[in-house]
Amino acid sequence: MSILNKFRGNKSKTLKIIIVGTGKVGSTIAGKLTDEGCDVTVVDKNREVVEKLAETYDIMGVVGNGSSYGTLIEAGVENADLIIAVTDSDELNLLCCTLAKKVGDCTAVARVRDPDYSDELAYLRDKLGISIIINPELEAAREISRILHFPLAISVNSFAKGSAELIRFKIPAGNYLDGMKLMSFQNNKDFNILICVVERGDMIAIPNGEFELRSGDIISFIATPHDAFAFFKKINVETRDVNSAMIIGGGKTSYYLARLLSHAGMQVKIIEIDPDRCEELSTLLPDDVVIVNGNGTDEALLSQEDLAHAGALIPLTGIDEENVLLSLYGMKVSPGIKAITKVNHINFSSVINELELGSVVYPRRMTAETIIKYVRAKKNSLGSDIITLYHLANDRVEAIEFDVHDELKHTGKPLKDLKLKNNLLVACIYRDGRAFIPGGNDMLCPGDAVTIVTTHRGLSSIEEIFE
Amino acid sequence: MNFKAVTYILGWILNIEGALLLLPFCVGLIYGEPQAYSFLIMAVVCVAIGGISIFKKPKNLTFYTREGFAVTALTWIVMSLFGCIPFVINGDIPNFTNALFETVSGFTTTGASILDDVEALSHASLFWRSFTHWIGGMGVLVFLLALLPMTGGSHMNIMKAESPGPTVSKLLPKVRETAFVLYAIYISLTIAEFLFLIIGRMPVFDAVTTAVGTAGTGGFGIKADSMASYSPYIQWVVGVFMMLFGVNFAVYFLLYRRKFRAAASHEEARYYLIIIAIATAVITASLYITGSMPEMGLADKVRHVFFQVASIITTTGFSTIDYETLWPQFAVLILLGLMFMGACAGSTGGGIKVSRFMTLFRTVRKEITLFFHAKRVVNIKSEGKTVAPETIRSINVFICAYIFLFAASVLLISVDGYDFTTNFSAIAATINNIGPGLGKAGPSECFSLFSAFPKYIMIFDMLAGRLELYPMLILLAPEFWKNIIPKRK
Repeated sequence: MSILNKFRGNKSKTLKIIIVGTGKVGSTIAGKLTDEGCDVTVVDKNREVVEKLAETYDIMGVVGNGSSYGTLIEAGVENADLIIAVTDSDELNLLCCTLAKKVGDCTAVARVRDPDYSDELAYLRDKLGISIIINPELEAAREISRILHFPLAISVNSFAKGSAELIRFKIPAGNYLDGMKLMSFQNNKDFNILICVVERGDMIAIPNGEFELRSGDIISFIATPHDAFAFFKKINVETRDVNSAMIIGGGKTSYYLARLLSHAGMQVKIIEIDPDRCEELSTLLPDDVVIVNGNGTDEALLSQEDLAHAGALIPLTGIDEENVLLSLYGMKVSPGIKAITKVNHINFSSVINELELGSVVYPRRMTAETIIKYVRAKKNSLGSDIITLYHLANDRVEAIEFDVHDELKHTGKPLKDLKLKNNLLVACIYRDGRAFIPGGNDMLCPGDAVTIVTTHRGLSSIEEIFE
Repeated sequence: MNFKAVTYILGWILNIEGALLLLPFCVGLIYGEPQAYSFLIMAVVCVAIGGISIFKKPKNLTFYTREGFAVTALTWIVMSLFGCIPFVINGDIPNFTNALFETVSGFTTTGASILDDVEALSHASLFWRSFTHWIGGMGVLVFLLALLPMTGGSHMNIMKAESPGPTVSKLLPKVRETAFVLYAIYISLTIAEFLFLIIGRMPVFDAVTTAVGTAGTGGFGIKADSMASYSPYIQWVVGVFMMLFGVNFAVYFLLYRRKFRAAASHEEARYYLIIIAIATAVITASLYITGSMPEMGLADKVRHVFFQVASIITTTGFSTIDYETLWPQFAVLILLGLMFMGACAGSTGGGIKVSRFMTLFRTVRKEITLFFHAKRVVNIKSEGKTVAPETIRSINVFICAYIFLFAASVLLISVDGYDFTTNFSAIAATINNIGPGLGKAGPSECFSLFSAFPKYIMIFDMLAGRLELYPMLILLAPEFWKNIIPKRK
């Protein structure tokens, strides 16, 4: 509403966003985007879900078929900035975006997750004029495979085209890091890492040099993959390379993950209950992937398939409770196993966080992050500034990778002379294909990609990191 | 129940009321009236109490349906209680019950008055009386929604409780912006009416009070004969604007957005205008058939008939003539019917609302169809869309609750011993927020003849009518009080 913005003296424009489909992903995005200050309209055929959502968040609901012209007009597609199609059906999402593009000339985001289309995404994107195609299953599979490279990590987010990783890791009891000050840490040449966030109980800190680590802290540090390996070696935690993985459930994520892992040379075993799906998977996947037809929650079957000697257990069934129980069971049977639990519904996340589950991935959250990143970039007038965005520590910290554009006034000055916002850390600079952790004398140059970690919410352009 | 959040909101409401009370104070200063200071005193009291209540912002400001309803009911009660004190202090209406009745009648846009001689009041009091219509017309909580940031769906739960109509539809995705747009339309229309009245050479004070009284579809006049002594031009302006304020505000939003076709095909507004046209035509015809008001020509007859019809259907309650004595019984009963009909949902008018009648009528038609074709599947539609079964159910239940409350109220006020017409129409006039009824509560009489107990019944009915029953009925539920009153051991 332009008058309202003028009235409030609000410079940045309010984005009008239509979300088609109110499933798990749709409703999460609706909530997150409202928090970002966007005008959200949700469209779904199911009246009850729409009404419930409109009561939960401050959004407008339209009941109807999202790929019909009339419904789209009613949802205000003519004035919309962005349409996000996340219904269950890939085809419907594509149709909806194509139509919206013709009617309203808005930016379109479609969820397409069927492996049949996954290789043709670039073609679809170009020919249909869709801006982003999101595939949460593939994203989840990628994140799981990243975590498997650092089995000690709780989660791994990658920046700078994969040449820097933000690794979240819990300091074990009696570790060498216990009682260590960050200052002594950063002077040590062997530790070429930067600790960005420390979580201790309910407290979250972006630590300075005086900060003293304790066992039980969950730290998030940024480092190149090579330095991260070196760090883990140095602090003497026992690592065990994961070279075999057992996946329970044969859904889309399992398919993508199995493909990634077997490509990386890992032994993969999938247990799937539906014989037809097993047949299908065995045709689609390389031959070295073992596909077992059986009930993955059957203890006898699991021990028969040698769960005790598997390097990693990855329950990817559609039921969160089953996944959680399977992970707990796996760690009981084989204490050294790396368990990665997929949680679809984020209800009771506080309970899930307290369980010793190892790593947990939330596909829903990843999709939301992708979209928020895009929305923030759209919001600021200079265009696409944000390259990647992750939410850390229960959404209380954001890690954002910005593109340094030519017009930025702060380039060419040493970082120590720039006035940055409080609780904001310049964690990594990516320049000429190489990522490094900046010191006080380093400068920002046009063309760099700079990663910052901050407790400020909603930064949308690089200018905002300065005071 | 989240009482801290409820208190916090009530604190804000008092602050707003405190600020609004400064307006009659200024009016009083202009006319050099000592009565003005009572409004200043009350403004200070409101801001002081409100300031304490909002001093500490509660951590949890989440409103569920029950909090939304409770805060709505309490807001209106608190506003009326504080708003009536100046009348008592400055002696314009010394009796507390009468002052409360007058103020509730103002905020609920009823316009039923207990004053025998309106013209004796100070300008400050007259202004405040009319201005309460304007505040109550759109609802003060809606105004608050435009200001206060709140979490998630909390807005919606408050808006649901305060907005008239069977379902709440937002004009824009955000409640805050919707509230802003509604107020923008409201203010623009009020100013437009004021300008038209000024063009008709109405004195400024009269124009202001008439404009705010029409905007809220209230009906407090500043003259004993309401609108009768003004020129035909002014009567036309007021009549047309009464009609305009009874239209669903969504139509104006569509017009603003230049969606003329969508605005023209708004079903409820269309039926509403058709009903006004038919009622005007039928009553005018009946005047000729019975030979009533023979001294007037067609133009004058149409003007008076249109004015009364618009006044009653929008539940405003202004009048230009004493229709009860001048018109045939048939015409008066049409007006009585229109009292229940009410204006459009999403307008400032009261009553049962045209859209509810549309749905009810279609429900009846569906039942009759089913006698002929038992297996036929019939969808009840409204605005071109299928009405959800829950909405139909809630409309049916609303009508039941309405009838129960109505019957009980008529019974309770009959203790004063007046005739049936008086009792029935007094409740019809208060529960539908109209103002004048028939008989001893008619347009040329006033409500001062009732004793205190019936007045409190009517105060309750006015609030229940304005808030569409449930927020007030929730106060009667024992469950609501369970957590407030400490348990005795």
